[in-house]
Amino acid sequence: MSPALMAAMAMAMGGMMLIAAVVVLFIRELLSAIIITGFVSLSASALFLMMDATDVAITEASIGAVLATLIFLWGRGKMGGDE
Amino acid sequence: MIRTLTGLAVILLLGAVTAAIVPYMGLSQELTGAGREYADQGMTATGSSNLVTAVIVAYRGLDTLGEVVVLFCASTAVVLILTLFPLGSRPSEPSIIVAHTSSALPAPIMLLAVYFIAHSHLSPGGGFPGGTVMASVFLLVMLGSSSVPGRSGALPAVEALAGISFGLLGFWGVMTLGQFLNNTVLGRGIPGELLSAGIIPLISLAIGAKVASEFSGVFAAFRKSGGVE
Repeated sequence: MSPALMAAMAMAMGGMMLIAAVVVLFIRELLSAIIITGFVSLSASALFLMMDATDVAITEASIGAVLATLIFLWGRGKMGGDE
Repeated sequence: MIRTLTGLAVILLLGAVTAAIVPYMGLSQELTGAGREYADQGMTATGSSNLVTAVIVAYRGLDTLGEVVVLFCASTAVVLILTLFPLGSRPSEPSIIVAHTSSALPAPIMLLAVYFIAHSHLSPGGGFPGGTVMASVFLLVMLGSSSVPGRSGALPAVEALAGISFGLLGFWGVMTLGQFLNNTVLGRGIPGELLSAGIIPLISLAIGAKVASEFSGVFAAFRKSGGVE
């Protein structure tokens, strides 16, 4: 893949990440917010992969996208409701 | 409202900074300074074909040891808090999807975790990601049943053994070559073979076992205190 195409893809991915991060701020439903937070982590992982940082991508996917999301979900379960 | 606006400002600022940096990241192919040194010398000096692991475990092994200590303190604190202040609810029966998934997936995920740890010096992966993936197997099995994990000495024993062996591997270098965590006490081997790269595979194994047992202990504490449903 050419460097220009690569940079364009990275920019698109970063843009999606940015939009998702802003959406989390304004969304009222806690469950959706948690899932979108997980998506932000997952796209960060994809971005690392694009930059050939495979080791970091693996760590980000396992910790940021899975474990952190799960801990948020438990916290939500404990709070007993949305908002 | 103020919190939302502050968050928005922080996100936009970070986005702008990243957008300014990203175009230069992929395009600058020239390495400078320490990166040049690692890329040129790393493979012959450590015998590890995965340079990231070589840097994490061999060149910056002391930092990794510190990181392991920090993780140990954090997990101990979480388990302590969860034990002192139970959240107080019983785990419910898992749904049929979770129950079936948790009987099918653990074996392949475990294989991936073992691969990450055992091939840390050959291909992307390493002790830390491998350990977290292994802990997620524990979590999956736990979520697939409605029982509470009993009191077991196995997890703390593995954790202690792994931590001690990391330190002892470091002192092996002191004893033989007069340098803490010297990687070459076992010889470098041929880069690309499973048994190569000195003590890097052993340290990866220790880190993987430690991280896996720590995270599993945290999950078990969550379950016992009623946090996982």
